[in-house]
Amino acid sequence: MSMEDYDYLFKIVLIGNAGVGKTCLVRRFTQGLFPPGQGATIGVDFMIKTVEIKGEKVKLQIWDTAGQERFRSITQSYYRSANALILTYDITCEESFRCLPEWLREIEQYASNKVVTVLVGNKIDLAEKREVSRQKAEEFAETQSMHYLETSAKESDNVEKLFLDLACELISEAKQNMLLNNVASPLPGEGKTISYLNCCSFN
Amino acid sequence: MAERALRIPERIEEITEPEELERLYQQLCEEERTVEAELESFVNQKGSIAAKMIALQRMGPNLQLIEGDASQLSGMIKFTCNLAENVSSKVRQLDLAKNRIYQAIQRADDILDLKFCMDGVQTALRNEDYEQAAAHVHRYLSLDQSVIELSRQGGEDSMLDTNLSLLQEAEQHLKVIVAEKLDQAIKEGDLPQVERFFKIFPLLGLHEEGLGRFSQYLCTQLASKAAQNLQLAMGVELSEARAALVFADTLTLLFEGIARVVETHQPIVETYYGPGRLYTLIKHLQVECDRQAEKVVDKFIERRTYHRKFQVVQNNMMRNSSERIEPRELDPILTEVTLMNARAELYLRFLRRRITSDFEVADSAAPEGITQEHQKSLEKLLNDCLLSRNMQELIGYYITMEEYFMKETVNKAVAMDTYEKGQLTSSMVDDCFYIVKKCIGRALSSSSIDCLCAMINHATSVLESDFREVLFNKLRQGFPATTLQDIQRGVSSAVSLMQSSLQQGKFDTKGIESSEEAKTSFLVTLNNVEVCSENIMTLKRTLENDCAKLFSQGSGKGDQARAKIDSCLSDLVAVSSKFKDLLQEGLTELNTTAIKPQVKPWITSLLSISHNIEEEEFNEYEANDPWVQQFIVSLEQLTTEFKAGLSSVIYDNLTSLITSLIATELEKTVFKSIFSRLGGLQFDKELRSLIAYLTTITTWTIRDKFARLTQMATILNLERVTEILDYWGPNSGPLTWRLTPAEVRQVLALRIDFRSEDIKRLRL
Repeated sequence: MSMEDYDYLFKIVLIGNAGVGKTCLVRRFTQGLFPPGQGATIGVDFMIKTVEIKGEKVKLQIWDTAGQERFRSITQSYYRSANALILTYDITCEESFRCLPEWLREIEQYASNKVVTVLVGNKIDLAEKREVSRQKAEEFAETQSMHYLETSAKESDNVEKLFLDLACELISEAKQNMLLNNVASPLPGEGKTISYLNCCSFN
Repeated sequence: MAERALRIPERIEEITEPEELERLYQQLCEEERTVEAELESFVNQKGSIAAKMIALQRMGPNLQLIEGDASQLSGMIKFTCNLAENVSSKVRQLDLAKNRIYQAIQRADDILDLKFCMDGVQTALRNEDYEQAAAHVHRYLSLDQSVIELSRQGGEDSMLDTNLSLLQEAEQHLKVIVAEKLDQAIKEGDLPQVERFFKIFPLLGLHEEGLGRFSQYLCTQLASKAAQNLQLAMGVELSEARAALVFADTLTLLFEGIARVVETHQPIVETYYGPGRLYTLIKHLQVECDRQAEKVVDKFIERRTYHRKFQVVQNNMMRNSSERIEPRELDPILTEVTLMNARAELYLRFLRRRITSDFEVADSAAPEGITQEHQKSLEKLLNDCLLSRNMQELIGYYITMEEYFMKETVNKAVAMDTYEKGQLTSSMVDDCFYIVKKCIGRALSSSSIDCLCAMINHATSVLESDFREVLFNKLRQGFPATTLQDIQRGVSSAVSLMQSSLQQGKFDTKGIESSEEAKTSFLVTLNNVEVCSENIMTLKRTLENDCAKLFSQGSGKGDQARAKIDSCLSDLVAVSSKFKDLLQEGLTELNTTAIKPQVKPWITSLLSISHNIEEEEFNEYEANDPWVQQFIVSLEQLTTEFKAGLSSVIYDNLTSLITSLIATELEKTVFKSIFSRLGGLQFDKELRSLIAYLTTITTWTIRDKFARLTQMATILNLERVTEILDYWGPNSGPLTWRLTPAEVRQVLALRIDFRSEDIKRLRL
């Protein structure tokens, strides 16, 4: 992993109830596969995909977490360093939608306050079994000021869009942060930048 | 030619010119000559053509002869062909006949066998020779079913039919007997008999049933042993050596027991049931293992009040409970849980290895699909077994508790921070890293990669947020800005205080001490920050080595696991540079608040020393140094304190900051002074002494920082204005000017004896 082979590195963590299709979304995006009969994820899985956005190489480190309760403490340890969270539910499973507030509490508690969160309703290929209306989900996302997107890992609908849009947003956020950091100097005490510091190198 | 003959007379009429006529004539003569030559050659060929004609005429009769022969030959070939076809069809018929004969013989053999089996089974059953009976049934089962059907249809022998039904009856009978006998043997715990009947099942085609009943036997054995072990474990006195690990030990005994069973019985299964059957056996055993392991885990949870402790910890972490739990109290349980998980991982790894290699033997020629199917069912067995789930649950609670343990203990180390005089760092840095290392080490000892990664993540956040925050806040209190005057005031007030308190018999130096303390605290914190960033790198290297060891034991899923750990470790390493940044911030702060206010006046005092001097004053300066010696002494005093209190790396950084500060301030001061020729020389001397001194206190090269000043001194030392041209532009040689032409003029103007017109006239 040399520093040169990418311009940005972002950590994306997928969370949500068991069986909503997190692993399938990741597999679809990183490998172009939809493995049927996917077993439950154990702990966390880890995939890397490098994409190019407007000529910049973006390395996405995607952490696919287990949805089952007993892995929660493992999952939680990844929230803090995540740049983005993809909160996933299954549109054919009301229960997975009803658990969202609980997930949001977790995010609140463990994630960095700068984290970008996207709400994803997966399995739109099973439209006839839909239990959560698009409008309802959109309204919910609105109240939590999250982006909302509906996907199908099976039909590959919106999967690419999900990750690429997210990468775009993370890039623009990173650029903004860089600007802010250059203005504000994080000195303790007086907080003065001393110009002659620039002429000596310490590294 | 005829055409040409026609054409010529036609054209001849039109020809009027003699030249034309002449030319035509020439042409005609030419043509005549060629025609003549052609004719000549034809005449010459005549002889040979005639000879050939004669030869052809002679060949006539021969050709007729050949035609006759050819038709005769074709007739013969046709005949031979027919003959061959005849023969080969006969051969085919023969071949068919031969095959049928073979089949007939085979069938006759089979029927004979069948008869033999029928007789044999009866006798064997009568003699209770079940092996023999089973062998006969096995023979019967391996016969082609169609053969049996056919021999039935023959109808000639109704005896066969009855015999056959007898045989089938005997088969059923045998199955029942063998099952009964095995059950009985199991009930009696008679291992030789169990094994005896276990071996018979595959002969009757009852592989699954045989394995099922046999593993049932093994399971009862395991269960009773496990119950005993658990009983013993419950009776263990708290004072006994391994009391704190008793549940892990019990679990270990269970796993070892199963492993021994597998070891012992794998050969029998392989010999009598063939390869690829170990999976079935272990699947049955795993059910018992799950049951027994759950009992141990349940007892563990109950006896160690595991869930209750977890609840308290969780409430504490959520900050909605005042009930606290001493981290020390968690220590033994955390160790026990990781040991339990490590044993379970080891056991599951053993199963995976055994089953995989058994499948490999069985599937060596199997299609890809079967192999994958087997692999999948193996994964399912190991991942979905209750044991795995139970362990995952325990580890889930463990991580939260270990995180609490780490945080609380680090907090405690911070609270109990002590500093011993003469040490560079205080106790909390070593303590904190000891704790972090211990916690991650414990997570690692669980052999669960996810558990390890989670704890690395938590360690990263404890170091980056909690611990760094502590150091950051200490640095933010700043370095008390005591100038010399302050110290003098402090001393005089201390003296008066001392006098007054001596009179009262008390002695209080708190005023000075607290300022001294604050200073030491700041310097110690700087050292702490540096050691932290070092320690993180050491921690990362140690962990990498330990993980390499773990992987070399064949744990985890190789590349995937390695990538996860690498990623988590790289987050940890990033914290190291955050500590480095903090160190730089602290040093800058020190430089700004403590050093600059003192050094600046020492430098500006140069202004009060005239450099517009003549020979006499120059000599006096020579005898009594007016500034630089005092400046060096003051610097020496200032830096001594830091040199003693800071690690050499930080001290180097600091002196580098100081030299930069001196260079900048001195430059400003020089621009405010005026110089005579000798004054320039004086400054040059002063600068040289200063640089010589600074070189001794830094390990960095300071020449570069003082390049501008040195060049200024050179200019102030010139004889005439125009002498600068000897050093400027094409004459600069290896010297790189750091001063702009405007600055050079500015410096030249500091010399009172240089005329400004001369300076203006310079072409730089």
